[in-house]
Amino acid sequence: MLSKRLLKTTSFQLTVFFSLIFVFCFMSLLVVTYLTTTTALRSQMQTEIQSQLNVMAVEAKSDGIETIIQDIQERTTPSDRQAEYYYLSDSKGKKLAGNLDGIIMQEEWQESGLSDSVLAKPDGDADDDHQIWGQGVYLSDGSFLLVGQDAFRILSAQESIINSFVWSAGIAILLAAFSGLVVSRGFLRRIDDINNTSLAIIDGRLKERIPVRGTSDEVDRLSANLNRLFDSNQSLLESLKQVSANIAHDLRTPLSRLRQGLEEARSKTGDSKARASAIDSAIIESDQLLATFAALLRIAQIESGSRRAGFKTVSLTSIFERVAGAYRAVAEDQDKELTITLADNLDFHGDGELLLQMIANLVENAIRHTPTGTHINLALKKSDQGIAATVADSGPGIPPDLRDKVFEHFYRLDTGRATAGNGLGLSLVAAIANLHGIRVSLSNNNPGLLVELHFPGS
Amino acid sequence: MKLLLIEDDERTAQFILLGLKEHGHVVDHAANGEDGLFLAASEKYDAVIADRMLPGLDGLSIVKMLRSTGNHVPTLFLTTMGGIDDRVEGLEAGADDYLVKPFAFAELLARLGALTRRPPVNDVKTALRVGELEIDLLKRVVTRAGKVVELQPQEFKLLEYLMRSEGRVVTRTMLLEHVWDFHFDPQTSVVETHISRLRAKIDKGFDTEMLKTMRGVGYSLRA
Repeated sequence: MLSKRLLKTTSFQLTVFFSLIFVFCFMSLLVVTYLTTTTALRSQMQTEIQSQLNVMAVEAKSDGIETIIQDIQERTTPSDRQAEYYYLSDSKGKKLAGNLDGIIMQEEWQESGLSDSVLAKPDGDADDDHQIWGQGVYLSDGSFLLVGQDAFRILSAQESIINSFVWSAGIAILLAAFSGLVVSRGFLRRIDDINNTSLAIIDGRLKERIPVRGTSDEVDRLSANLNRLFDSNQSLLESLKQVSANIAHDLRTPLSRLRQGLEEARSKTGDSKARASAIDSAIIESDQLLATFAALLRIAQIESGSRRAGFKTVSLTSIFERVAGAYRAVAEDQDKELTITLADNLDFHGDGELLLQMIANLVENAIRHTPTGTHINLALKKSDQGIAATVADSGPGIPPDLRDKVFEHFYRLDTGRATAGNGLGLSLVAAIANLHGIRVSLSNNNPGLLVELHFPGS
Repeated sequence: MKLLLIEDDERTAQFILLGLKEHGHVVDHAANGEDGLFLAASEKYDAVIADRMLPGLDGLSIVKMLRSTGNHVPTLFLTTMGGIDDRVEGLEAGADDYLVKPFAFAELLARLGALTRRPPVNDVKTALRVGELEIDLLKRVVTRAGKVVELQPQEFKLLEYLMRSEGRVVTRTMLLEHVWDFHFDPQTSVVETHISRLRAKIDKGFDTEMLKTMRGVGYSLRA
């Protein structure tokens, strides 16, 4: 199963393809080398034999055939292995001298048919490494002279060329196949890692991650990116789970109060006034529930990013002024002070309605969660990176370890739920800030809470 | 008033029909878009209440078609589509007001009242008068029985809106939308605070209370 998949991998198929091209090139090289080497060696041998024939023909003419016979006999004195071969016959075809027998008497170049017996090994077998190649000529008196040479050099050159090519091609193909398999197996294993992790995550094991080797090759980068995708999915899913749990938990209290109110209304059949007030409070409870749902929907809508399409240039200065105008009296009525330090004409590209709500939410938080006598200041000024805004109060502040939590859905510092509120105000602030690329940070105002908003510059 | 309700949900329609009839209105009901458009185009109504999602023809298209034929019957969208964009889309299509379900019936009545008594567009007044209360919009001066009343800008805007809605009930949401241009529900008493400050300035020391709180509904300014 694995091997079948191995053969189907892209890397293996590529290896096979390139190996085939390699082998083809190798074969072409082999043919060319073989032919050029053989041709060169043969023509060298032909030249040598031709010149010897010429010399001997001239000798025969000037000094007589006897000289040549003697000459041949001297040259063919038996030794270990003969390199030169001769055959001389008179005009009637009778052999006069030489170490060859039974040859074809013709004046052409011959590469076969010249007596093999001379070359036979002691045990009588023909020796493939040795052949006698040669050429004959009819001398002026009608006698026939043939000079031959052992073609051992050429044959062994041919053989070694073929051998070396066969060996190196064989090794190359084996190496290619092997490395192709190894590479493919490694690749396949990493792909399998990715597949297995994906399947595990589909199965619900959200913590599984693809192993990363740290080699930062393309598979590593792909794996790292997929891991990041899995990370963000996991955190989204977890926050979704958290939100669902929170919704279920947070809506139970108002729902049970609603139910209580309705039960109370039913029991008070006689007292119409008490009945009306029970119904009124039930309506208030249901309105609060609806408001919570509306806030959740609004956050979801903002988080979807669809509002970005409607971004316009808006005056932050006037948005801050409007918020301060709406809440100054509210703060005063609670013996708190709301002041502003706003730079003029600061514009920002965004959604005016949402930005207004973001600032309003922050100011409302500063009013609602602080004791009387608190001073709240709204500030807006140009900064190096864009525009910096602060909402600062002199209230109790938020402990450092809880500063991130307050942005979560339904998270409330006041766990006793003494002050009304759905715990979504700062979630909405975070969603609006995110949509606009605004960085929100909470810090200590010594005393109180300092909310800093960093609006990005255009 | 003669009203047309275009609403496909039977229960919602019955609830609204009953309530409107109790308040003395004559109401026609269409349960789908085509019938609604036909009635709105052929009859003369004081106002049309239309759902946005309807079988056949949706509310947005009905309003667009009415407007394109020059029919400017005051129209209020009544819809569960409470998204931020949905309101803008509805108003851009030509609707006059937008109310998100679920709603308090008093809110619907108050908004219908505001719609049907909306002054003509080209009616630019420089002064308003309700009983002994007068407001000069150019000089931005308010007097009650000749005595000058000093108002903060927000209080002035609030009074102006209340005076334009003389005698009618305006709800908290209507005030938030028209005076502060707030399209969300504040968690603090923005409206109540300003109402009580305004009341302290215009009613204190006078025999009759002009700015009245309608419990569970809203506020009303009357002579």
